[in-house]
Amino acid sequence: MLLLTRAPKAWHRLFQLKPLALPGTPGGKAQHVRYQLFSTPSPAETGRQGQPQGPGLRTRLLVTALIGAGLGGAWLAVRAEKERWQQQQRTEALRQAAVGQGDFSLLDHRGQVRCKADFRGQWVLLYFGFTHCPDICPDELEKLVQVVRQLEAEPGLPPVQPLFITVDPERDTVAAMARYVQDFHPRLLGLTGSAEQIAQVSRSYRVYYSAGPKDQDQDYIVDHSVAIYLLSPDGLFTDYYSRARSAEQISDSVRRHMAAFRSVLC
Amino acid sequence: MAAPSMKERQACWGARDEYWKCLDDNTEDASKCKKLRSSFESSCPQQWIKYFDKRRDYLKFKEKFEAGDFQPSKMTAKS
Repeated sequence: MLLLTRAPKAWHRLFQLKPLALPGTPGGKAQHVRYQLFSTPSPAETGRQGQPQGPGLRTRLLVTALIGAGLGGAWLAVRAEKERWQQQQRTEALRQAAVGQGDFSLLDHRGQVRCKADFRGQWVLLYFGFTHCPDICPDELEKLVQVVRQLEAEPGLPPVQPLFITVDPERDTVAAMARYVQDFHPRLLGLTGSAEQIAQVSRSYRVYYSAGPKDQDQDYIVDHSVAIYLLSPDGLFTDYYSRARSAEQISDSVRRHMAAFRSVLC
Repeated sequence: MAAPSMKERQACWGARDEYWKCLDDNTEDASKCKKLRSSFESSCPQQWIKYFDKRRDYLKFKEKFEAGDFQPSKMTAKS
């Protein structure tokens, strides 16, 4: 709006410049023709020489560019708002699903007892898997710690606690978990427990798991649902990310949740 | 039996990828890739070999399916 009020002043300046440029200069006639091309011709105007006919080319381009930029900015703002609203809707729907209710009591890979309250006040990215996993668990954990590292690198963001809970309590002892998590991230915490404790926490997070048949080495693969869970600092399940989501997409989503969470508190 | 470490996992995946590349180059002719197959079998736990074999079958099936090689038979179209 400010632009349109300023434009007439620019036109005035051009009115003053033109008479200087046109008479007698070799390029004068060419200039006049150029201006004619870009302004609406009228019979009275074609006869006149040296009379300015409205805003010059540069002003028009400037006005167009600024209006274009304004429209572009408005479109981006509307799109961002839409994404925020969609995320809010999704968060609300997931919250109503009430996944991850109830407490858990598990052993971390250093042998300490941990329950859900221990992680209160922190954002948590949680993955269920097992150490004998051929490829999916290492890939998903690698992706998870990549997200943690990306967010760690950003100043002003709270640290995210990566958690790995086993669905194979029979083989994944405290020592096995310690050996496994060291390969990924120094803050990755492995959690294990008794068969009942694991069954309870898996039920709570709606995680399916089923140990396959044993071969002659007594080795087996545990079939399980694959998802990375995001828990907010109040311990509530906030979002989940499937195998299809990239680390960048997950980081973006976590950042949005963090921003939304802070604004709710304030 | 302890779970494979990250190094062992990567060695296994490398051997698997080489074996699969050989199969790709030889249109699934396993007889041409015997050496890589035995290297693959020695780098990975048996359960993983079975798992990766099944995964290979699935990936090949998926390729064919997405290329439209499987058409519904006339019988199923009618019923």
